Amino acid sequence: MDFVTMNILDSAMVSICREMGITLMKTSYSTIFNEALDFTCGLTDMKGDMIAVADYCPAQIGGMPLLVKSCLKEISLAELEEGDIILHNDPYRGGLHTPEHTFFKPIFVDGEIMGFAVAIGHIAEVGGMAPGGFCGEATEIFQEGIRIPPVKIVKGGKDNIEVWKLLLANVRTPRVNYGDLKALIAAVDLGEKQMRGIYQKYGKEKIRETVADLLLYSERRMRAELEAIPDGIYTFHDHLESDGIDAERHYRIQVEVHKKGGSFIVDYHGSSPQAAGPINATLGVATSAAYNAVLHMTDPSIPRNSGCFRPIEVMAPPGSIVNVDFPAPSVGGNTETHPRIVGTILGAMAKALPDRVMAAEGATHCNFVFGGVDADTGEYFACYDLEAVGWGGRAFADGNDAVDSINGNCRITPVEVYETRFPWLIESLAFNTDSCGAGEYRGGVGYTKQMLCLNDVITCSQMTDRHLLAPWGLDGGTEGGCGATLVKKSGRNDWQTMREAYGKPSTSRYSNVAIRKGDRVQLVTPGGGGYGDPAKRDPEAVARDLREGYISAAAAAKHYGHQEG
Amino acid sequence: MAVSTIIGIDIGGTFTDFVSYDSATGRIENWKNLTTPAEPIAGVMEGLGRMDNLGAVTKARLGTTIATNALLTRRGAKVAYVTTKGFRDVPFIQRGDRRSHYDITWIKTRPLVARADCHEVEERLTAKGEVWTPLDEGAVRELAAKIRADGSIEAVAICTLFSYIDPRHEQRIRDILAAELPGMPISISYDVLPKWKEYDRASTTIADAYLKPIVSENFRKMQARFAEVGVGDKVGVIKSNGGEATLAAAADAPVQMTLSGPTGAVVATRVMSELTGIRNLVVFDMGGTSTDCSTVVDSKEHVTTNFEIEWGIPIQIPMIDIHTIGAGGGSIAWIDKGGMLRMGPQSAGADPGPACYGRGGQDATVTDANVVLGRISPGNFLGGKMRLDADAAHAAVARVAQKLGMEVDACAHAMVQIANNNMLGALRAVLLQRGLDPRDFTLVASGGAGPVHVCDLMDIAGIPQALVPNYPGQFSAFGFIMTDARVDRHRTVQQISKFFDGDRATKAMTELVEGAIEELKSQGYTQRIELHRSIEARYMGQNHELELSFPGNDFTEATIADMWDRFHQEHQARFGFSIPGETIETVNLKVVAVAVADKPKMRELPLTQGAPRATGTRRVRYADGWHEVPVYDRETLAQNDRIAGPAVIEESASVTILQPAQTLAVDRLGNLIISA
Amino acid sequence: MKFSANGFYIESYSKCPNCGVLMYENSAEDRAKQVRHEGKTYCSQRCVDWTLDREARRATQAG
Repeated sequence: MDFVTMNILDSAMVSICREMGITLMKTSYSTIFNEALDFTCGLTDMKGDMIAVADYCPAQIGGMPLLVKSCLKEISLAELEEGDIILHNDPYRGGLHTPEHTFFKPIFVDGEIMGFAVAIGHIAEVGGMAPGGFCGEATEIFQEGIRIPPVKIVKGGKDNIEVWKLLLANVRTPRVNYGDLKALIAAVDLGEKQMRGIYQKYGKEKIRETVADLLLYSERRMRAELEAIPDGIYTFHDHLESDGIDAERHYRIQVEVHKKGGSFIVDYHGSSPQAAGPINATLGVATSAAYNAVLHMTDPSIPRNSGCFRPIEVMAPPGSIVNVDFPAPSVGGNTETHPRIVGTILGAMAKALPDRVMAAEGATHCNFVFGGVDADTGEYFACYDLEAVGWGGRAFADGNDAVDSINGNCRITPVEVYETRFPWLIESLAFNTDSCGAGEYRGGVGYTKQMLCLNDVITCSQMTDRHLLAPWGLDGGTEGGCGATLVKKSGRNDWQTMREAYGKPSTSRYSNVAIRKGDRVQLVTPGGGGYGDPAKRDPEAVARDLREGYISAAAAAKHYGHQEG
Repeated sequence: MAVSTIIGIDIGGTFTDFVSYDSATGRIENWKNLTTPAEPIAGVMEGLGRMDNLGAVTKARLGTTIATNALLTRRGAKVAYVTTKGFRDVPFIQRGDRRSHYDITWIKTRPLVARADCHEVEERLTAKGEVWTPLDEGAVRELAAKIRADGSIEAVAICTLFSYIDPRHEQRIRDILAAELPGMPISISYDVLPKWKEYDRASTTIADAYLKPIVSENFRKMQARFAEVGVGDKVGVIKSNGGEATLAAAADAPVQMTLSGPTGAVVATRVMSELTGIRNLVVFDMGGTSTDCSTVVDSKEHVTTNFEIEWGIPIQIPMIDIHTIGAGGGSIAWIDKGGMLRMGPQSAGADPGPACYGRGGQDATVTDANVVLGRISPGNFLGGKMRLDADAAHAAVARVAQKLGMEVDACAHAMVQIANNNMLGALRAVLLQRGLDPRDFTLVASGGAGPVHVCDLMDIAGIPQALVPNYPGQFSAFGFIMTDARVDRHRTVQQISKFFDGDRATKAMTELVEGAIEELKSQGYTQRIELHRSIEARYMGQNHELELSFPGNDFTEATIADMWDRFHQEHQARFGFSIPGETIETVNLKVVAVAVADKPKMRELPLTQGAPRATGTRRVRYADGWHEVPVYDRETLAQNDRIAGPAVIEESASVTILQPAQTLAVDRLGNLIISA
Repeated sequence: MKFSANGFYIESYSKCPNCGVLMYENSAEDRAKQVRHEGKTYCSQRCVDWTLDREARRATQAG
């Protein structure tokens, strides 16, 4: 192997991916792109194997190889021309959920396709039965927005106007969607152009050879990491609550990790059959989640490409909560079920790798989405936004407070941006005292965002979790606090759940609630589970948490035997 | 003009650099002594003591790391934070993202304030700047009593929601607290950074308060020491925007001092642009442990508000955009778990330093590889003041080579290539990732190690030309003698093209300009003031802006229409597309006011007398193997001298390595101009 | 996965009952690896073996 060229090529390609992401961030319209950075940019070879990726959204990083490969099963290389760009979002063809739009552009060098520049981004409004994409009560994909098979949105460098028209006629915010889609196109254009430069500089043969070596190198590093983990079969399970349709049922995620030598196989058989509501994961999500879990337990300096994924396999039974069949809904699978799968795998591996896992994190992005017509501008607005949660305690440190769940690394939108864009007044953003699971190392705390509606009406939907089933602790640590969504209608004095206020089956997953001027909404995010026996916690740390208001005097006494004074 | 001397002083981690300019003789001199970390002014005084005629000093400009170090080592004040009711946790929630994916060991960055010291007061403005809840002044007085009773608070930071639109509540809170707590340093976000996004503004305001006591105290001491030697009224410090301010003014807004020293090399690069007429330059300042990269485009420094002192702690005042990476001459070679050779970020530092320093360092560093390759001469390091141990360098590199199964010189060459590649990442970050084409640039080498690598870097980065200035090791201090007093002011005034209110924009721009001029005049900078106005705008819905220059204070129909046209053009040029007819949103107004100082006049070199003469030859290894190359002494070169590669140009504190296909020309000022 | 004759839409989806991967009717590569076992089509012999192993293992655990 030519390690010197490999090192140089790897950093050049990752840098190109980063440049693509910067273009996307700077030119896109939705806050979910430009504030939250819910997108990923990468490069693949001609077979769809990912050869480089920049660190934007982890859920999409793991999903990329299957996405591109699935499309290439339908579209042969011979059908692609220079300047074409393919768009795709179909969850049943390697996709993640309908909002996740994938763009990829062939990289032609002397008339031959060498690979693809890929950008995956979360489009906030995709049509369907609820504004903002997350319809908590969908029972079919057709309610979850427009479904796009692999199509050429740009043909030979020219907009394919028919596709554009069809697409933009099916969403509530065509102006914003146009801006976001243009940004994704600018990103793959940039990636393709820069990568062509790299091919010209080094030559096709040298790159082909070096990229193959690079993937082998990553694979070798990953196998070495896995070989250091004791062989065995590790099992664990967790439950998702209510699918938004049946309030009483919980859905089991079962994992059986087969760790043998340099191989890591996650068998999901035993997980619940697919739900009627939109909490099902696609195969892409179940695969991405397994990659994500393994990447968290291994050396983060391994170059991220398909090579480091080769030792990891999943067995995801069709028609189950981890591998949805047509036409069942799946929008929440990518945001809610993904982090729960990761947590379940980490839970299984806790016995083998106590220092490289954590207790359960909040494992939800809150996903409170809404839309309406702005009284001032007359324009339709739609918003997909997310919130942070408490993370789980670890064998060596407390869980972090208020961090985006493990399958995202998105930023929350500043209050001053949110209120400038949308007709809400945010009244508070405050940590939830005692939401941290107790332990030798406590969990991180969640927070509460309280908002007042300023528009005549805003239509709201939500796809969250952990209202009923709290994040678990590990090794004697206790559960973290549950989340909640509460509403206080104008003129009333009490806070109600969505079930109480609007008769929705579930408090955490529902759609199309009409929030009116003067109504208030509280989004309470869950805290993380604790790690280790609370009795072993450093008394100084207990006193500090009490002084700083992370825990109450009552909790200090109950969990830690701490007495005031 | 009367005889005068201007001095630039850069207090660095190891050395304090001095550059002086004497207007009578036109001579530029430079010297250095060790930095005195405990009391940096002592090292400054030691260096000044070497000057015969301090009485002739008309200006001494100082780059200092006091603020940077206080932030990095967290030795600032105990701050109380005051904000809108409901939002005291904003500094802790931050933005909810993580430093990197997949790192389960990460511990979230703590803000520069304790949660118990964060307080809320009843008040609220809306996104349109209307009062939603009036300020509860009684609550502010109660808070003052609480802070007084606590007794441990050393400074107060105030940041309320939407204060960038209307600062009335913040100002009133400040006035009440100032009256109730006499002598308490107070920072308000409207003064520090009147821009939207509450966490970024809060973090910056907290940092300002955090620095106030320590910076004031230090600057007061410095002022006194300078006064003792008769230059007390001649001293200015360099702010993060590369401009000068008086010590008193800088102590009032210490967050402006976050990045002081490293800006000198960028200012010096801008001056090079003015002197040589080369409009686009990218400078890399390569030291022992780190390398700073920055650009000068159209003869202007790039100013950013996206700085973080550590991950998650934004400090968003306007500062020169410098990208720092942990790669330098001391970066250590190591082999990762997969068998790949890597360089740094671990560094051998100054002590024990690279193996070739002969102080017991065993690790092979970039400098050792350069010695093995014949690029650095063991006998002429730091002008011969320090003799390098070539055998130790060879042995250290050989240990790495053996693990890799490589020849020693091939291994040394690979080490240099990988180090160069790390620096290429930094160059890409300041060029390609900002939409700038390397082919439009000239690469400037500074720092002692810069000239050693400049020819390799221009090659791999696709930069067609390079420039090695005089005294590359003291380039920052040189920048300080060439700079001006400067004020940058920004303010968020959001409007959309559909309903653009020109009068509102004119009023805000006029206030910004008047405020900036007043800030300069109040410090005594009364000479000619140059103004640069600009607007940051974007398509309605986007969240990142493009900057457009603006001709004056007045937003007339014509200047507004021209602004929209230029926005579409700029978007097309920067991102490859524009959306004709789309609504445009203006976000920030910006003003830079510069009080233009008298500048040193650079002496020209005598004209060439034919071909320059080499002082000897030595063996240097390039990509294609060993070459016997001529060695030149930079001191002996004359204007318009030309040298064809391969060649080596030695000078007292550095060495320039010319590759076989490259050529070098000496310009009228003595800069080495290298062409691919 | 089977497309309509004109290729405009999907007629039916077929997934491996063990690993869950889509099997494309138009892919020679996919067809070559497929194995029939107890009335179901698996993507490969390995998935049949894995299924048998799992059944055996879980029967022992249950028993």
